[in-house]
Amino acid sequence: MSQNPAGDQPPLHVETYPHLYRDSVALMALAAGLEKLDGVAKAGAVMATPANLGILARSDMLPPDLDPAPDDLLVAVRAEGPEALAAALEQARHELLDAAPASGGPGGPAEQPPRTVAEGIAACPEDAPAGLVAVSVPGTYAAVVAQQALASGQHVFCFSDNVTLEDEVALKARAAAAGLLFMGPDCGTAQLDGVRLGFTNAVRPGPAGIVAAAGTGAQELACLIDRAGGGVSHIIGVGGRDLSDAVGGRMTLQAVDRLAADPATGVIAVVSKPPAPAVAQRLMERLAAVREQSGKPVVACLLGVDDAGGSPSVVVRDTLEGGAEAVVAALGLTLPDDELAAPRPAVPGGVLGLYTGGTLAAEAKLLLGRAGVPHEVLDLGDDQYTQGRPHPMIDPELRAEWVARAGERPDLGVILVDVVLGAGSAADPAGPLADAIAAATRAARAAGRDLRTVATVVGADADPQDPAGQIARLKAASAAVTRRNAAAVRAAIALVGGPR
Amino acid sequence: MILSDSTTVLNAGLPSITEAVPRARVLQLNWRPPAFGDPAAARLMASLQTPAVEAANREAIAAVHAVRPKLVDVRPAREAIGFLASGRRLLHAGPPIAIEDMADPVRGALIGACLLEGWAATPEAAAQLLDSGAVEVAPCHHHHAVGPMAGVVAPSMPVVVVTDPEHTGTRCAYATLNEGLGKALRFGAYDADVLARLRWMGGTLGPVLSEVLHQAGPIDLTALIAQGLTMGDEGHNRVVATTSLLARRLAPVLAGLGARGVEVMRFLADNDHFALNISMASAKLAVDTAAGWPGSTLVTAMARNGVEFGLRVAATEDRWFTAPVGPADGLFFPGYGPADANPDLGESAITETLGIGGFAMAAAPAITRFVGGTPADALANSIEMARITVSRHPVYQLPALGFVGSPSGIDVLKVLDTGILPLINTGIAHKKAGVGQIGAGVVRAPQEVFLKAIGPLAGAIGGTVDDAGGGGTLP
Repeated sequence: MSQNPAGDQPPLHVETYPHLYRDSVALMALAAGLEKLDGVAKAGAVMATPANLGILARSDMLPPDLDPAPDDLLVAVRAEGPEALAAALEQARHELLDAAPASGGPGGPAEQPPRTVAEGIAACPEDAPAGLVAVSVPGTYAAVVAQQALASGQHVFCFSDNVTLEDEVALKARAAAAGLLFMGPDCGTAQLDGVRLGFTNAVRPGPAGIVAAAGTGAQELACLIDRAGGGVSHIIGVGGRDLSDAVGGRMTLQAVDRLAADPATGVIAVVSKPPAPAVAQRLMERLAAVREQSGKPVVACLLGVDDAGGSPSVVVRDTLEGGAEAVVAALGLTLPDDELAAPRPAVPGGVLGLYTGGTLAAEAKLLLGRAGVPHEVLDLGDDQYTQGRPHPMIDPELRAEWVARAGERPDLGVILVDVVLGAGSAADPAGPLADAIAAATRAARAAGRDLRTVATVVGADADPQDPAGQIARLKAASAAVTRRNAAAVRAAIALVGGPR
Repeated sequence: MILSDSTTVLNAGLPSITEAVPRARVLQLNWRPPAFGDPAAARLMASLQTPAVEAANREAIAAVHAVRPKLVDVRPAREAIGFLASGRRLLHAGPPIAIEDMADPVRGALIGACLLEGWAATPEAAAQLLDSGAVEVAPCHHHHAVGPMAGVVAPSMPVVVVTDPEHTGTRCAYATLNEGLGKALRFGAYDADVLARLRWMGGTLGPVLSEVLHQAGPIDLTALIAQGLTMGDEGHNRVVATTSLLARRLAPVLAGLGARGVEVMRFLADNDHFALNISMASAKLAVDTAAGWPGSTLVTAMARNGVEFGLRVAATEDRWFTAPVGPADGLFFPGYGPADANPDLGESAITETLGIGGFAMAAAPAITRFVGGTPADALANSIEMARITVSRHPVYQLPALGFVGSPSGIDVLKVLDTGILPLINTGIAHKKAGVGQIGAGVVRAPQEVFLKAIGPLAGAIGGTVDDAGGGGTLP
């Protein structure tokens, strides 16, 4: 039955379902669904109890001549036009009569994956408890998550940057007190008992234990050791500020002690930029003590620190290459021959290093500076170049753009690049780079210049990107390729006529 | 060896960080910024995540669970609640609020209470009386009472007296008797029918129940509500089973009281929500045990006055943390919609504070339909609430989840850490006094109150835990 509108409301239509029961909650849901339909102004669905009829009447949804029984079910609809009304009544009919009785799916509740450190720890199986938390959340929260992890007895791998110095000191003090590792902040690389975190390479297991303030420095070192036939027990990242005065080398010292006590570690290497002087002294003293007490050879690979600064018991090297040589020598091994043949005559112009790895860039800068050739080395992973874009080890396009643009520079003779393979890195870093090298070379040649490219590929043979394939790709683009950064730099120096 | 062969790595952040770790050894967290994205609050939270606070919370909730509330009597409020013993005084729901700021339904209920007490002859006179400041008001929670919706308690109203001398000594909890659905004082209605029913409740219902309880009582409310939970109640929005069990318990005595007894039996038969207020008083008695507990971050009250949501936490005892409250997102009776709804109202969230109501949804699948849900959603709700609670109720069990205890004891720290807000089942009042209930639904407590609480909690607790060795180290 229908009734004319009161005021400017659309007409009211009420459909009665005799002796049909649905609970009020189901009916409210039904009515809410009807009201979502186009053209439906108001809808109500109730059991026709006196109370419910009163509710309908008060909201002007009850025709005066209706006299239902209390066990009748009413569907009242005010709709604009017959089509909207028909659609609403059909939907009501379908839900009341056709659809399965009001109940949800038979399935269980949706899974609720753990969100917090505490929930994660609780969710681990009893026979595989949590032991480490990798933190790469926004820097503002990294200290909080790290603190939660340390408080729960977890080691921390802190990839996040933008952790304040004060927080770093506090977290490392807390970690040290609990005998835990806090690796970071801004820690790119770690490997603990074969568990590889961040940017790492598939190096074979072995006796070399590495403490690294530097991500790609540790990768270069580990890959050179691997290629010499050695292997790696652990890489403990400590973050770039650990050997500063403020942090005082807390984590480096703790990591060295751990490696000294670790039966799997036979030789200990520390890789870092030059430490703060006061910290350097403390570090050298500790390394000497470790050497004496554990009998394990100790290598301090401190970029740019004079080799002569070592003590009788601690080998100090100022390049990654020198550090790797010392480590493999301690293992009775030698590095493979990575030298590139030097073409003559030299090309005019200087060297532009376009690096994705910060420590590799630092080593290149050091060697180029010592050679006295004109050069410029950019660490394109630095914030000033990424500017919100992904790190160039993750997304090779950023560096490819720089390489392509270098083809237009008349002052250049050599482009020097790194390709870092392994976990965390792009699936095909050489691809976009090779295209850019080819383009830059063409552009230079078109301008009557001879622009060469030298590349170093950092990687282990077992890395998923396939080093051989990556090397072939670069060679096809006319790059000279080696697998040792220092050798690549030397080749670049030779190419521009500098001393070898 | 630093990590054993079986160590699991938790990954908070980029999945690529652990791409070289065998998948079976990585647990990727569904991490999101804690403390609703407030870094300062997150640091305070972390500073309180200590063994000492955990221990305090465990002890506090154990003390709460040890309480076994008994319904011992029904007395006029003026005899039970000291504040109402003399003068023109009324209680209302939620955190403190000035009369001039009150929501219309609360104001309506106060007007009705003035009429009921004979302090004014007309609604206009009652309104003038209220505006003149001649009536002193206070939140129910300040006087061991709880009230649904407007929560207004007047001296002549009968209240249930709930206590457990063994565990709470002389401390009691109180709640008014439920008036039933439709037009009711708790929705701000004060017409002749409403007042007549209140007078009957004061003159007949209260005294009869008192008489009955002296014969059939005290009634173990924990056992009663627990049985209701196994019969489809959640102890808040759905208490029809508990009401029926209570009526059955009282029926033999009521039957012996002649016409007065029949009247009361009829009232109980017609009111599916009668047990709500009793469930609330029961929860209040238990939860108050944790109020003021040193070092504890457990929630001890969640209440709404129709304008603001108020939160109380154990270690900060009497302090309220408040935030504006919005209308419940629920389903509406025919003809009504969200525009008609008053902001969320009432103190029935004391049930969720203990760990039933929205937390016991798994026991009451039908309730999930209020949000268009399914039985699976009901289970999910109870599972989710376990993520922000420190314990499970030892008696209130959830059959559908293998009879596990209902999640109990909301921890402010867990709320901030997970970003999961307490679920509260609620009725929806019309924003105009007297229209009554126009819908029902499920709401979440507002995040602001938890963010406001964390600083004072750190202030109240911080100094006491640092020395215990577990304190936060972040500067």
